[in-house]
Amino acid sequence: MYCINCGVKLSDTEEKCPLCETVPGAPYERGAPARPLYPKNKLPEATLKRGALNGALIILFMIPILVSFFVDLQANGNIEWFWYVAGALVLLYVIFILPLWFSKPNPVVFVPCGFVAAALYLLLINILTDGKWFLSFALPVTVCVCLITTAMVVLLKYVRKGKLYIVGGAMIAMGAVMLLMEELMTFAFDLSFTGWSVYPLIALGLLGGLLIFLAINGSAREKMERRFFF
Amino acid sequence: MNFGYMKKEKKNLLWVKLDNAAKIYPAARRRNWSNLFRQSVTLCEEMDREVLQSALDVTVKRFPSIAAKLRKGVFWYYLQQVEKAPEIGQEYSYPLVFMDSNEMRKCAFRVIAHENRIAVEYFHSLTDGTGALIFLKSLTAEYLEQKYGISIPCEHGVLDRDEEPREEELEDSFLKYAGKVAASRKDTNAWKMSGEPQPGNTLNLTCFQLPVQKVRELAHKNNTTLTVFLSAVMMQALLNLQREKVKSFRKRKGIKLLIPVNLRQLFPSNTLRNFAMYTIPEIDPRLGEYSFEEICDVIKHKMGAEVTAKYMSTVIATNVNDEKNPVIRLIPLPIKNAVMKAIFDTVGEKKSCLTMSNLGFVQLPEIMKRYIKRFDFILGVQAAAPYNCGVISYGDTIYINFIRNIRDAELERHFYIVLRDMGIPVTVESNQT
Repeated sequence: MYCINCGVKLSDTEEKCPLCETVPGAPYERGAPARPLYPKNKLPEATLKRGALNGALIILFMIPILVSFFVDLQANGNIEWFWYVAGALVLLYVIFILPLWFSKPNPVVFVPCGFVAAALYLLLINILTDGKWFLSFALPVTVCVCLITTAMVVLLKYVRKGKLYIVGGAMIAMGAVMLLMEELMTFAFDLSFTGWSVYPLIALGLLGGLLIFLAINGSAREKMERRFFF
Repeated sequence: MNFGYMKKEKKNLLWVKLDNAAKIYPAARRRNWSNLFRQSVTLCEEMDREVLQSALDVTVKRFPSIAAKLRKGVFWYYLQQVEKAPEIGQEYSYPLVFMDSNEMRKCAFRVIAHENRIAVEYFHSLTDGTGALIFLKSLTAEYLEQKYGISIPCEHGVLDRDEEPREEELEDSFLKYAGKVAASRKDTNAWKMSGEPQPGNTLNLTCFQLPVQKVRELAHKNNTTLTVFLSAVMMQALLNLQREKVKSFRKRKGIKLLIPVNLRQLFPSNTLRNFAMYTIPEIDPRLGEYSFEEICDVIKHKMGAEVTAKYMSTVIATNVNDEKNPVIRLIPLPIKNAVMKAIFDTVGEKKSCLTMSNLGFVQLPEIMKRYIKRFDFILGVQAAAPYNCGVISYGDTIYINFIRNIRDAELERHFYIVLRDMGIPVTVESNQT
């Protein structure tokens, strides 16, 4: 039996050509079915015991939480600083460990999750310190950074081309957030506007602009690749 | 005799240090890759598993350095003879299923029976292709003797299973034949093939069967040996594939083929452990079009210059010098592993596109031939590159086994086209159904 596409002689065991995947056209040309080279029984897939791993990690995180709870209670007679430690550990857990629960964690979901956890931690600190800066400063800044980062992650994941445009655009947007951040700080903490945010704005704007320039200019991009490949 | 390193433990089990070439393989392992290779013999009749198990029980005692498990010392790994033969394993839909550390700690080789095929899969630290073939022939001879009550003479690589292992079979010949001058390790990187990974970590095997006579005729016409000829076909296929995939002329990279060299042909060694080195012929496609004759010449001259005892002793010396360095020797194994792995990942497999290992013609005692249909030799894929290729000849057929961990058989297609255009009839079979 010969492959009708590439012409190679096929062993009688072959259901399709191993070289071009063409299925032999005329069934009457096929001889009696022969024994295949290998059996069809698949190797049982090794499964990672995710539950056990995550259980162990939860216990690992619970140890410092419990230790700090008892130390705080013993040292001060009541709970004073424990919530800061516990909040920080929960935040770390959400950002680094929670995605491990899933076989293919989607960053489009977990990046905003991380920001939500960060916002909640900031809210906790705001409440514990009787601050009045959460709604006027922390929340809008977190929301802006979250939106830009998530948009970048979504575009990088789902748009095949234009990575330089995406990262460059995100850098420029992040520079603009710096201006907003200083403005909000001035308002929330009653500070005078010093204009420090202009420096990161310029730096991020230049870097972002350079990436977009490289995205547009193929020969410049090739020169940069040649000089900076690693 | 440099045999002081070998000691006997309880139950008279032997343990040996890893030979010089074997040291890199345990360190280079990763979560889903270990350096395995397979040799198999296909009999004319269906396999009797019970007889095979009994034959294996006898054979393992004769090969204590191959029938071994990988153990960890504080500074180096070592091999320890297995207490008893492993159970005959089951065949799956692809060969060279990943061998994890647990399995290696129990036994670093497997024997698999499927219908009329006996396959042995070895972790490369145990032995090389030549040593492995002696093990497989001896196991098969023992099986045939037990099954059919025949008497097979101990010749052509069949060893007497009742005999005690000889000291020379267990020696690390690298240490013995290292030269005084060390060769440089400097080399350029090769073109790296890539493709869409095959899901589920499975491997695609494609076996080409070629008539020896026709290939030999063509090799002689090109004034080359069979190994040089097949290597040239492979390099031509790689050149054609790169031309198809990398459109920009300037971005093309060197086509380099790693051809293992059996050092027993150059040095008087009878070791059953690793004793192979390699040569890497290279073609730079940016220099212009190469004719097939030119490719043959490149390989022939490279092999002519390097496959000599003098040159190989310098290459051996380079590796042995590292092993002898007192500072390196005193570094604890986990640190050594990390450093060796980093070096392997950085340079190890970047120097060639793939390995094409030719074990040559299998010679057997006359009485065995009537029971045996074919031999196969399959290399595992490289850690970071998708292909490898093993060649073995038996009877009037050359068996060329391509293994890959990507979906598309693009290299095999190009390899076939080169053979077809030369008028070589090819039969192909695979594990892809």
